[in-house]
Amino acid sequence: MITRELFWNLNASAITLFYVIGISAILVFVAGCLRHISKYRRGRPLLDKPDYWQGLRNLVKDLATHRTLRRRDRWAGIAHGGIFFGFLGGAIGTAIITLEYDILYPAFGLRFWNGDFYLIFSLILDLGGAAILFGVLFMMWRRAALKLMKLDYLRSYCGELDLRPSAKAWKREDWFFMIFLLAVVVSGFTEEAVRLYVDQPEWAHWSPVGWLLAQILDSMELSVETATSIRSVNWWLHGVAGLGFTAAIPWYKAKHIISSTGSLLVRDSRALSRLPMEEGDGQLGVNSIDQFNWKELLHLDACTKCGRCHEVCPARTIGSPLSPRDLILDLREHNDACQTRPDRLVSLTQGVINPETIWACRTCGACKEICPVGIEHPTLIVKMRRHLVEQGETDPMIQSVLETISNTGNSFGESARKRGHWTRELEFPIKDIRKQAADVLWFVGDYASYDPRNQKVSQTVARLLRAAKMDFGLLYEDEKTAGNDVRRIGEEGLFESLVEHNSDAMSGVKFSSILTTDPHSFNTLKNEYPQFQETAPVEHYSAVLRDLLASGRLKVVKRLGRKVTFHDPCHLGRLNGEYDAPRAVLRAIGCEIIEMPRNRDNSFCCGAGGGRIWLPDTPGKEKPSENRINEAATLDIDVFVTCCPKDLTMFEDARKTAGHEDHFEVADLAELVAEAVALDSLDLGAVPEVIERLTDAIATKVADALVDKIAESISARLEGMELATSPQALPPSEEKNPRQSVKADGVSVAWQAVPLQALKIPDYERPEKPGVRILVAIKHVGKLGEEFEISPDNLSVPDEYKDFLLNEFDDNALEQALLMAEAIDGAEVVAVTIGPEEAEVTLRKVMAKGADRGIRIWNENLEGADSMTLARILAGVSEQENPDLILTGVQSGDIANSATGTALAGILGLPHSAVIVGTEWDGSDRMTVTRELEGGLQEVFEMSAKSVLTVQVGANTPRFASMRMIKQAKKKPLIVIEEVEVPKTSTGMQVRRVYVPPQTRAQMIEGSADEVATKIGQIIRANSGA
Amino acid sequence: MSGILVVTEHRHGEVSAITNEVIGAGLSMKKKVGGPLMVLVISDCPNTYANSLSYEGVDEIILARVGSDYFDSKIYGEVVLGEAQAHQPELILLGHTVNGMAFGPALATQLGGGFASDVFEIDCLEGEIVATRAIYEGKAFVEVSFPGACVTVMMLRAATFPAPEEMAQVSLSQSSLDLSEISADTNHIKYIEPPSAGIDIAKSEFIMSIGRGIQDEEHVSRFAVLADRMGATLGCSRPIADAAWLPKAHQVGLTGKVAASCNLYIALGISGAVQHLHGMKHVDTIIAVNTDANAPIFNVATYGVNMDIFELAEALERQFN
Repeated sequence: MITRELFWNLNASAITLFYVIGISAILVFVAGCLRHISKYRRGRPLLDKPDYWQGLRNLVKDLATHRTLRRRDRWAGIAHGGIFFGFLGGAIGTAIITLEYDILYPAFGLRFWNGDFYLIFSLILDLGGAAILFGVLFMMWRRAALKLMKLDYLRSYCGELDLRPSAKAWKREDWFFMIFLLAVVVSGFTEEAVRLYVDQPEWAHWSPVGWLLAQILDSMELSVETATSIRSVNWWLHGVAGLGFTAAIPWYKAKHIISSTGSLLVRDSRALSRLPMEEGDGQLGVNSIDQFNWKELLHLDACTKCGRCHEVCPARTIGSPLSPRDLILDLREHNDACQTRPDRLVSLTQGVINPETIWACRTCGACKEICPVGIEHPTLIVKMRRHLVEQGETDPMIQSVLETISNTGNSFGESARKRGHWTRELEFPIKDIRKQAADVLWFVGDYASYDPRNQKVSQTVARLLRAAKMDFGLLYEDEKTAGNDVRRIGEEGLFESLVEHNSDAMSGVKFSSILTTDPHSFNTLKNEYPQFQETAPVEHYSAVLRDLLASGRLKVVKRLGRKVTFHDPCHLGRLNGEYDAPRAVLRAIGCEIIEMPRNRDNSFCCGAGGGRIWLPDTPGKEKPSENRINEAATLDIDVFVTCCPKDLTMFEDARKTAGHEDHFEVADLAELVAEAVALDSLDLGAVPEVIERLTDAIATKVADALVDKIAESISARLEGMELATSPQALPPSEEKNPRQSVKADGVSVAWQAVPLQALKIPDYERPEKPGVRILVAIKHVGKLGEEFEISPDNLSVPDEYKDFLLNEFDDNALEQALLMAEAIDGAEVVAVTIGPEEAEVTLRKVMAKGADRGIRIWNENLEGADSMTLARILAGVSEQENPDLILTGVQSGDIANSATGTALAGILGLPHSAVIVGTEWDGSDRMTVTRELEGGLQEVFEMSAKSVLTVQVGANTPRFASMRMIKQAKKKPLIVIEEVEVPKTSTGMQVRRVYVPPQTRAQMIEGSADEVATKIGQIIRANSGA
Repeated sequence: MSGILVVTEHRHGEVSAITNEVIGAGLSMKKKVGGPLMVLVISDCPNTYANSLSYEGVDEIILARVGSDYFDSKIYGEVVLGEAQAHQPELILLGHTVNGMAFGPALATQLGGGFASDVFEIDCLEGEIVATRAIYEGKAFVEVSFPGACVTVMMLRAATFPAPEEMAQVSLSQSSLDLSEISADTNHIKYIEPPSAGIDIAKSEFIMSIGRGIQDEEHVSRFAVLADRMGATLGCSRPIADAAWLPKAHQVGLTGKVAASCNLYIALGISGAVQHLHGMKHVDTIIAVNTDANAPIFNVATYGVNMDIFELAEALERQFN
């Protein structure tokens, strides 16, 4: 019969021994697997159950084609394929034998491992063995001879000079794995060769490799006895090697056979384009390793150290302290250590992962894209960021950007009203979609709205859409930044509030689809907003331009014939798979596309993603954008084309700093299209369409009809109001005043000092004094944008022109109070503000930062009250609270009197000092204070602790209140007091006139260089007072 | 009674420049307000300051001898209050300085009269004292008056009013207050001088910044020397700091430092990206030099020069030799 004897030449006890070894091996294997499973079970549960069927289909497809392994490293992929399929064949083969020998035959007397089946079986396994042999030998050669950067574990990108011990262990493990595999295969072939040599079966050629080896033995004239004894000994060697290999799988690198398969099964191709929501258990972000979910812990074990992510990471490339590979390996090592030693469980940023590493990521997704085993590195990073943001452990610059976004809705710190100002230069108005329905809602984004270079592109896009007769509109000031990068920084709370705002803004508006300029907005609107609310379909303008060109709505009149290269924006390409639309546009307008070596899914990030646009790169090192622009410079091109506002900003800069200004230009896709369709020659300011004219006409009629009614109701309201509607504008004296007015001749009569008294504040509910109590007075101040008008009475600036936020100086005062309170057990910080209901946002923010309680005082007589009146009210609150220390900012950012704090001290008769930059206090009667004098001189002195101090901006770094903390602070007590007797008059001051200082464009200084220098010299001297 | 009372500020044994300016402002108002111009000196040895305060037009220098030469907000507040009650001036003038902020507003609460701070213009209109000050980061100005106030405390902005030039013989008088009753709140420990090597953009009053227009790292030192000669702090735009041509501390802008105390800013070869403007557009006097006549920097500048910065630098080097 055509088959072979399984236990050749073995007696019963030997067979028993073999079974004992075999079963032990399986037990060791199973134990290892269980150990890993218990490790993963320490993680959190998954919020969204993966689609296992889809995962399985993808897994089978990926493994069958070896697609993910062949990408960008073809030969390694092929070699791995050899090992994989050879191993798979071997495993299936062994399973078949076991099935027949141990189950079907003993149970049913069934045998099939013979005849033709046996021959084909032999052929497949023989070739499989050869494939493994080839694969392993190739891998060994690759590791030993090629010295590939991605396989080097030395962390030279962060200045490491010697391999760390763990890296040395990884190296040993890699080699052990390959040698072990080699041993199994070589012993297998040896066994086959001597078997065929000794038995000489006529079907020997069905095992071609074994047969070939047998022929070699034959040519060596090996004696049959020697061959037989080799056969006996090697049988055991091969058996034990095979079983040993199986047993060892879960215990070292070979575990990826299982973990990587599992990782591929649960991989989420949209993991980065749609970041996970906040976990349900109330814990935000990841602080310690067990706060990752089980899938993420499985991902850690899936890493095979192939180094593909290490190679493509833009952070690693420019020498930032981040390699996705090393991040995963460090987390894995820590996770393994914590499994056996739970006491090692620490905050990840305490020695496991450096915070700098976490902030270095640009969330470009290059690592995740190329990872052959489906690891989602950026998600892990964002989760760790979420925790750091929550703890306020972010770069101060990031904090200030987040504050800015939370205050103004954009990262430029510009007024919301200015968002639509770029449209003013257009020849035609763009619909305000809040008032007029349109087909397309154009979500412009921050950079395209506020950055001057990108505003030009936005204008071009608008003209193109207009030329194509598209019906589109904007949200104008109701658009806030979409929050893509805010989410990637890890400020989930702020992101959610931005989603809420933008969704609200869009909800009342009629449109059928959304158009975006910024691929970042495109990504989050398309993929992440639906996590919260249903949204309309979202398109990027590159796809819209492609369609307009294809349909002929935009007609190319001049084929450009330029040589261009196209940079795929990460958020358009890798995250959303759109590589073709921009290229189709470029071809349609007659450009010749010359691809950069790294293109499409291998595009190299400009460095601006993940919030990094708000952080500077290490000075003196090549930036990602420069790296990219240098890559483009190796090509013969005229234009470097982008279709992302952030790209345009980064690459315009990089082209200059990398010295390629003469080589090529950087342009946006739309600008080239504009040229090709001769946009300049089109008349865009043409008569508005009929429908627009109609709606305008109706609107005018309605408005006319309403005007009278509105005017009526306004005047009725005005009559009911006191005169005091403007800051500091106070009505003439009504109280009986002991002093007489200054007469025209400037001589006053009846000089009399009348000390100001605290204004009585009615008693209110408050806790017992816990020990030390610090009172901080804060103000919700209005910041003026660049465009504003003075009120018709010339006495104030209406609030509508102001963006309100926490006074910067008070932020420092609060921080100083919190720092002092933290140093004293049981100290309480109470924040007080005088302001209308709108000021509560700021008071809540202050409570989110750490103030224990809040008090807001307001009534309409306080509108426009001067510093002295404010101080009298604060004095009333102090009399109720009896604080041990009172802090406030040196001045308010709006009126800047620098008076309230010191005046408060004057009324209370408390010791005081101003412009404080440092305090040392242990809660006792005296404290040491440092104040800042002119010219940077500081004075250190000692004074009574029970005092009023005004704190200078920059005295400390105020902590960040994440949106989540702000939400949580809603539980803290906030008292509102409206029954305050505010005198209708104040002697402090009366506003006569508010006016805009004369402002013009620069006065140009003309003349020769020397004449100009002389004039500048005069200005300098005049300014220094010399 | 009427008149003007000026409170002297001094440090390290010298009258501060601001006091001369305040006296200057007081003299310009003297005729309009009427009455004498009195200058009050508070120190353990007030006589030493008398000579440098003896300006033509000052009617009286009041010497208040207290326990210490160091500033103390309580002593200043109480002495000035006492002298005010004794002399009943219509206007009390002090500098809008750290010391001024530490006692001026408290003094005003004790007098119960008018108060204005950071005043840069002062006049008498229609028989009323009118002060002009800036609000909303200088985007708007406000004129205020003090109807019904028999006395007004006014804190004046530094480097705004001209100091008088003519010196004269001025009569000295000792304070009639019982100063032994007044004790200090604070005990001076020490002064800390600012580090001389480092720079602080936020605190610099005069900044000369360089941008991409300087073209090459080798030119940095030339502009550093020029800034030094002109007495300016050297600032820069983001690309210069990013290229490490200058340490990050020099960068002005959104991601750098805000020129918070600056009143004269010279921008050489800076086009004026929003990032940069954020850090300096509020400065009172801005001189921008750029070869691009349409550079956005000219929209915020007070003076513009459309010229090659190297050509101008040569001329400035001759000018500040």
